[in-house]
Amino acid sequence: MTEQVPNKFIVPIGPQHPALKEPGHFEFSVDGEIVTDASIRLGYVHRGVERGTEDRTWVQNLYLIERICGICSHIHATAYTLGVEKLAGLSAPPRAQAIRELFCELERIHSHLLWIGVAAHEAGFDALFMYSWRDRETVMDLLEELSGNRVHYSCNVLGGVKFDISDAQRDAILRGLDFLEQRTHHYLQVVTQDAAFVRRTRGVGVMTKEQAVEYGAVGPVARASGVERDVRVDAPYLAYEQFPVQMITDTAGDLEARFAVRVRELFESYRVIRAILDKLPAGELMAKMPRKIPPGEAIVRVEAPRGELFYFIKSNGGDKPERVKVRTPSICNFGSVARLTIGHQLADAPMILAGIDPCFSCNDRAVRIKRQDHIQSWTWSDLRRYALKKYSA
Amino acid sequence: MKIGAMLGDLLRSLFRRPVTERYPFVKRAPPERLRGALRYDPANCSGCMLCMKDCPANALELITIDRKAKKFVMRYHADRCTFCAQCVASCRFKCLNMSNEQYELAALTKAPFTVHYGNESDIQALLDAVAPTNSAPTAKA
Repeated sequence: MTEQVPNKFIVPIGPQHPALKEPGHFEFSVDGEIVTDASIRLGYVHRGVERGTEDRTWVQNLYLIERICGICSHIHATAYTLGVEKLAGLSAPPRAQAIRELFCELERIHSHLLWIGVAAHEAGFDALFMYSWRDRETVMDLLEELSGNRVHYSCNVLGGVKFDISDAQRDAILRGLDFLEQRTHHYLQVVTQDAAFVRRTRGVGVMTKEQAVEYGAVGPVARASGVERDVRVDAPYLAYEQFPVQMITDTAGDLEARFAVRVRELFESYRVIRAILDKLPAGELMAKMPRKIPPGEAIVRVEAPRGELFYFIKSNGGDKPERVKVRTPSICNFGSVARLTIGHQLADAPMILAGIDPCFSCNDRAVRIKRQDHIQSWTWSDLRRYALKKYSA
Repeated sequence: MKIGAMLGDLLRSLFRRPVTERYPFVKRAPPERLRGALRYDPANCSGCMLCMKDCPANALELITIDRKAKKFVMRYHADRCTFCAQCVASCRFKCLNMSNEQYELAALTKAPFTVHYGNESDIQALLDAVAPTNSAPTAKA
């Protein structure tokens, strides 16, 4: 008689895998088709951005920080400039703040539309993917028209913004929004009514409100589970006090709710952008910024398209920061993926992963590496030593 | 609940032209603010070097030919440039701007990416004095 072995089969996915656009390693233990355990290993795209900031001036860092993420580049740069302005004890003029908020919301539109496409593609619904990305071009063109660049708009400078909004551009934005609003109504119907698509999303990856709080979920993922958490509402920054947004929440907590929350947030973005364009404050675009920032520490919280983005900036009074710490929303949401896939079919795992709108390169500043039997912790000085050794050659 | 909620879009697209652009055969006019290759006009330059100091990509070298006579040559490395336009924002005398026409920057060698701006005679004097190098700028702060 043969000995009974435990029924455990591990499916490794990544780091290089056709289904993943960015490198990450996932191990799903399966029993037949059902996932029984999941683990995630990140860190394949660690780029040393935080260390890099210490070698660059305050101004140069703006562009390094902007490149942490290609989707939410503006919100990173905004969080950084808000922190530096706080340290310098000044704030950008009202018109600049409003223009920054306008860019934030345009960025949210393009990020959410991109996500709808990616998530639909993971579900095998390529028609939605193609059409949502076609419509996303509208907002990409607007961003290019406004800033001169499609991806890294670089609209911020320390103390203000680089460009103004002309009347012609204002009209172009309004025309673009009208088209997008009409299309978004259509997409809201598709993601909540298409029979085939709803079978992939309804009741899949359900996260209760308690679980969302426990796993520390942020952004649309938390809001889809009924957690009222939005930095734009809780602690308004930029011009969000003058041009407020309404928090969009859902109670279902499944993938369908995550779709619905993000799509409904698009309407909120359209509304806010129209409000900003209607009452754009007059005045200067830039405040005079010192080249050396007084010593101190600043903490900034902003709402990126994926959730709360956190910056800690420390200055020692020089022309370079002493420490910049970034905590991106994806890292908060990743914990939930490992738990939510358990009990679902393996084929649902990519959808659940896509549901949090993961951004791998945003995450990769992990300091705890778990190998088979030992855990290696990287302290700040370890990382610093490692980086100096690696990059001095 | 519907079946084929996007069928309408698909059928309509059958009778429409593709939305993709036929680049490079048909080129769309670039937006006015498009950030292409950098342009430098030495006429008002005071040689403050702020553009060089603020450049996050070490793409600019402002070479002083004669400080008193305000003669400067700008060596611009388009291959390093990230097109962020910080130099344009930093310049107090509006000597710099980004061209919205020159954006298709591709070449088989790196040589065309090193561009010199300034008076003809100054550039010639500079090129005669030192062979153009592609090395990292040494005057980096």
